[in-house]
Amino acid sequence: MEIYLPIAEMSVHWLVILGMGAAIGFLSGLFGVGGGFLLTPLLIFYGVPASVAVATTASHITASSISGAIAQWRRRALDIKMGTVMAAGGLVGTVFGVWLFGVMRRSGQMDLVVAASYVVLLGTVGGLMLRESLGVLRAVQRAASVPVHRPGQHLWLHGLPVKMRFRESRLYISVIPPIAIGFFVGVLSAIMGVGGGFVVVPAMIYLLRMPTNVVMGTSLFQIIIVTAATTILQATSNFAVDIVLALFLILGGVIGAQLGVRAGERLRGEQLRMLLALLVLAVAGRLLFGLVIEPDELYSVATAQ
Amino acid sequence: MRSSLLILGFCALCIVPAAASEDLVSGLSQDTVEITSNYTGTDIVVFGAIEHLDDSGVHDVIVVVRGPDADITVRKKDRVVGIWLNRDQAKLQDMPTYYYLASTRALSDIATPDTLKRYGIGLSNLKPERVFSHHDPEPFRLALIRHKEQDGLYGEAPAAVEFLSPALFRVHVPVPATVTRGQYNAEVYLFRDGNVISAQSTPLFIDQTGLERRLYNLAHDSPLLYGLSAVLMAAVLGWLSSVVFRRAN
Repeated sequence: MEIYLPIAEMSVHWLVILGMGAAIGFLSGLFGVGGGFLLTPLLIFYGVPASVAVATTASHITASSISGAIAQWRRRALDIKMGTVMAAGGLVGTVFGVWLFGVMRRSGQMDLVVAASYVVLLGTVGGLMLRESLGVLRAVQRAASVPVHRPGQHLWLHGLPVKMRFRESRLYISVIPPIAIGFFVGVLSAIMGVGGGFVVVPAMIYLLRMPTNVVMGTSLFQIIIVTAATTILQATSNFAVDIVLALFLILGGVIGAQLGVRAGERLRGEQLRMLLALLVLAVAGRLLFGLVIEPDELYSVATAQ
Repeated sequence: MRSSLLILGFCALCIVPAAASEDLVSGLSQDTVEITSNYTGTDIVVFGAIEHLDDSGVHDVIVVVRGPDADITVRKKDRVVGIWLNRDQAKLQDMPTYYYLASTRALSDIATPDTLKRYGIGLSNLKPERVFSHHDPEPFRLALIRHKEQDGLYGEAPAAVEFLSPALFRVHVPVPATVTRGQYNAEVYLFRDGNVISAQSTPLFIDQTGLERRLYNLAHDSPLLYGLSAVLMAAVLGWLSSVVFRRAN
């Protein structure tokens, strides 16, 4: 059955949208990322206008992240204090990002900036994660003990002022790095229609040195707040949130997220990270390909509303 | 009121001379298209009749349905240090968002290019009101037509006008799901030996109804409430699913 989307002004098959939501929700539950970096390009490829895709993806990520975060919270794998500190930076970043979104759209280089930032970010993050997780996997095979997290091991970042104790993360560090990471991710959320989990998760592990078991839940918690803010800002400034599209994406997404969390329990941390790294690199590769290969159609069309 | 209308109608009939020149009457199968939740595009029928048909001479009918005008920006990609990015652009003012033409024969067989140009008939005569660009706008205009044709929003269909009798004709006009809401116009031209002898224009409205309409209005009239509802919906569904799945285990 086809359904008509009132904001996107197009009709879509509800099963396709439900399936997309479920697939992305599964990854969300599995890796603790929102999955926006896959969903936004997927929706645009299906013909949804880019602005609607970016804005509506945010509300989908909110729902699947809530579903995933509750599941993680029951396992006590969630540092609410750390998540709140990061979200505070994230909210400021979102406001700045929505402003930047408007500036870039007026200059006509929105597509390029979005695609290029996807390639750079996903390429870097994916590459780093892949190298690290492969290293751990190899070490495990050699039956060596691998100290993934050593309590008391600090980076210079942690020595910055305004220190705070994060009990669940077993950390006593400055709040500046988490707020800065949150801000950066807030900007990404507004510009790229992503929750930013693919940046937050590695940043928590490698920069903040948080224990892997609380990373997933905490990143989901922070993503909920940032994407909820993005949804409201996109609705009020761009009128681009399609609630019917969101409903079907979410229905698929919440189911997928629950299945993803269960599947994640059966995999080890480094295996998860390697799979996520491969996925992120694949998307980056596809986007890079689109930037450097001569397109079939050189002209693109944009209708003023 | 009714009697005065009757009189008016009667007088209108009186005015038509007995040996009248040929004239055109046309209409639409529906004067509004309502976009509902299961809207996937539709067909409207434009029909008409040639009154006082004179068999001498070659008759042709051209039907044009066109949709709300908009300013459309066309951008061209260029290679800059190995990366393809938007360089040149042209803003075409007041181009129709929808244009469908049906005719009895190929346009070039019906009338001279000058005649078609004068009436603005055909995709080749579809010109913007103004162009804002530093470049030759023609490639940009052609690119727009190419894009719209691929999306099913522009089209020319020679021989799509069906004659049911020598004087009675009809055309099926496809209205795809991606049409813009607003006022459309169905223009019918009657040609005789290459000249327009009669023309008629009928408005057509395409609009959302029911739930779609209310959601669209809400999104534009109270965007904050709409945004909050979207977040609330996301929150409730996310929470519900975790409750349901916990029970299931």
